[in-house]
Amino acid sequence: MGGAVAKAVVDGVLTGGVYALMAAGLTLIFGVMDIINIAQGILVVLGAYLSYVLSQDLGIGLFLGLLITIPSLFVIGVAVEWAFMRRLQERERTALSILVTYGVAIVIEGILELIFGPNYVQLRAWYVNQSFHVLGFYLPYIYVFGFALAVFLLGVLYLILYRSRFGRSVRASLQDRAAARLVGVNVERVSTITFGIGIAVTAAGGMVFGATNAFNANSGYDLISRLLTIVILGGLGSIGGALGAAVFMTVIEGLVAVLWSPVWATLVFYAALVLVLVIKPVGIFGQRAARAQ
Amino acid sequence: MARAPSEELAGAGPVPRPPGLLVLEGVVAGYGGGDVLRGVSFSVPQGSITCVVGPNGAGKSTVLAAISGILRPRRGDIRFDGRSLVGRTPREILGRGVVQVPQNHSLFREMTVRENIEMGAFTLGDRALARRRLEQVMEMFPVARERARDKAGALSGGQQRLIEFARCLMLDPLLVILDEPSMGLDPRTLRTVFATIRMMHDQGRTILLVEQNARAGLRLSTHGVVLENGVVRLSGSGREVLDNPEIGALYLGGGISAGPTGQHPAGPRSGHEGGSP
Ligand SMILES: Nc1ncnc2c1ncn2[C@@H]1O[C@H](COP(=O)(O)OP(=O)(O)OP(=O)(O)O)[C@@H](O)[C@H]1O
Ligand SMILES: [Mg+2]
Repeated sequence: MGGAVAKAVVDGVLTGGVYALMAAGLTLIFGVMDIINIAQGILVVLGAYLSYVLSQDLGIGLFLGLLITIPSLFVIGVAVEWAFMRRLQERERTALSILVTYGVAIVIEGILELIFGPNYVQLRAWYVNQSFHVLGFYLPYIYVFGFALAVFLLGVLYLILYRSRFGRSVRASLQDRAAARLVGVNVERVSTITFGIGIAVTAAGGMVFGATNAFNANSGYDLISRLLTIVILGGLGSIGGALGAAVFMTVIEGLVAVLWSPVWATLVFYAALVLVLVIKPVGIFGQRAARAQ
Repeated sequence: MARAPSEELAGAGPVPRPPGLLVLEGVVAGYGGGDVLRGVSFSVPQGSITCVVGPNGAGKSTVLAAISGILRPRRGDIRFDGRSLVGRTPREILGRGVVQVPQNHSLFREMTVRENIEMGAFTLGDRALARRRLEQVMEMFPVARERARDKAGALSGGQQRLIEFARCLMLDPLLVILDEPSMGLDPRTLRTVFATIRMMHDQGRTILLVEQNARAGLRLSTHGVVLENGVVRLSGSGREVLDNPEIGALYLGGGISAGPTGQHPAGPRSGHEGGSP
C-alpha cells in the first residue's frame, strides 16, 4: 500500500508537470486575449499524431521530432488566430471564442479520424518501454523525461515572459490591454504570437501524452476537460496558478485511484471543478480574478 | 521643434489665438454602432492647458482615443505640429511626442512601480536614454522612488495616478493628455495631482485635460472646450468658458443645480464638483 501511495504521488507530480505545460498555454491565451481555446485538447492529440508519424514513418526520435512539431503547431496557432480569432468582436469575445474554437476542434478531430482511423495507438521508444526501480515501484523512464521536458519548456516560457522585451509586452497586454496600447504595445501582434506560443506547447505535451497513453482522434475531449479544470482551478489567466493546480489535481487523482477506486479518480476533476466554482470562483491557486468587465 | 510655451498666453484679457499645436477638424468617429463624435473641431494652443468639459457620455474620452490613435476617425483630420495623426499607429503618435493617461487606472498591477514607469519608454530604442529618463522621473516623483519595488496594485489611488504621470513623462512628451485625472481622489491628493499638472506645464509641455470637476479644471487651464453630445458647444479661454452664464449653470455647479433634485448633467459623479477650495 505504501508503495502504491508513493507511486501515485510520484506519478501525479510527473504527469502534473506535463499538464501544467499544456494548461499554461491555455491560460496564457485567455489572459492576453480573453479567448478560451476549446481546441487545446485536440491540438495535444494532433501533436501526438505528428510525433507518431515522424517516429513511425520517418524514424525520427520523439524528442528530436519536437524540433519539427513545436514550430509546426506554432504556425498552426498563428494561422488559426489569423483566420478566426482576430475577427471576433472584443465585446463578446470569450463566449464567441468557445464556439469558434469548438468548431476548429471538431474539424481537426474529423481530419485526424479520416487519416488515422478509430484505432488507438501509442508512441514507442526505449524509454517508453523500460522502467527503473525507485521507492519500491517501477517507473517508466518517459515519465521522468517528460517531466524534465515540461520543466525545461516552462523555464523557457518563464524567460520569454520575464526576461525579454516581448515578454514585457505580453505581460502588459495580459494585465491591461488598453494601457498596453497607450504605451505603444502592438497588442494585435502580441496576441497573434501569444496564440502561437500557447498552442506550440501542445506539441510537447502531445508527445509525452501519446507516449504515456494510448490515444485516438477522440482523446481530445478528456484532455480539454482536464485542462479547463486546471486553468479554472488555478484562476483563469494565472500561469503560476495553472502550474499549482495541475500538479495538485493529478496527485489527487492518483491518490483517489489507489486509496479508493480508479472509477472515482476520473470524476475527481469534475467534482473539484464544481466545488471550486461554488466556493471560490476565481480559483484557489490564482489570486488574480478573471479580467474584470 | 515646438517646445517653449508661447509667451502671449500669460495674463488675462482677450487671448490671441496662436496656431494650435493640436488641431481637430470635423472629427467624426464611433465604435461601430453610430457616431459618437459628430464633427468635433477645436484646437489646443501651443503651451496651453486646455480643458475639455462636458456631461457623461459626451464623447470626451472618445476624442482622446482618436488623438492617441486608439480609435480611427471616420472623417475629419487631427493635426499635431502641422502633420496629420490620422491613420498613424499609437506607437507612431507616441513617437511624435503625444502621450495619454487614460481615465481608468491603467498601471500594470502585477508589475512593480519601477517596471511600470519603464513601460512608459517601451517604444524607446535607446536604453541609456531610458535609464537617464527614469532617474529624472524618479527625481520628480519621490513616491516613485520610495515605492519602486512595490507592486503597482498595492498603491493607493492617488499614488497610482502619480505613477501614471511619471510613466507618461518617460517619453519627454510635448503634449500630455489627461483623462479625468482627479477622478475619485480626496481633496488633498487632488491638490497634489493639480500641482503635478502645473509642474508638467512649467516644464514647457502642452496639456490637454478632461475634467469632470469642471470649475477646478477650468481654473487651472488657460483654455476651455465644452463638448456636448459629440460636438463642441463652446470654446475659448478658460475665463470665457467659466464666465459664460449658460455653461456656468449647466456644468459648473451654479446656483440652480445646487438643489437636492440632482438635475445635474454631470450625473452621479458630480459628487466632487467644487470639492477643491
Ligand atoms: N469602447 C466602446 N465601445 C462602444 N461604445 C463606447 C465605447 N466607449 C464609449 N462608448 C460610448 O461612446 C459614448 C461616449 O463615451 P465617452 O467615454 O467618450 O464619453 P465621456 O464624455 O468620456 O464620458 P465620461 O464623462 O463618462 O467619461 C458613450 O455613449 C459610450 O457609451
Ligand atoms: Mg470619459
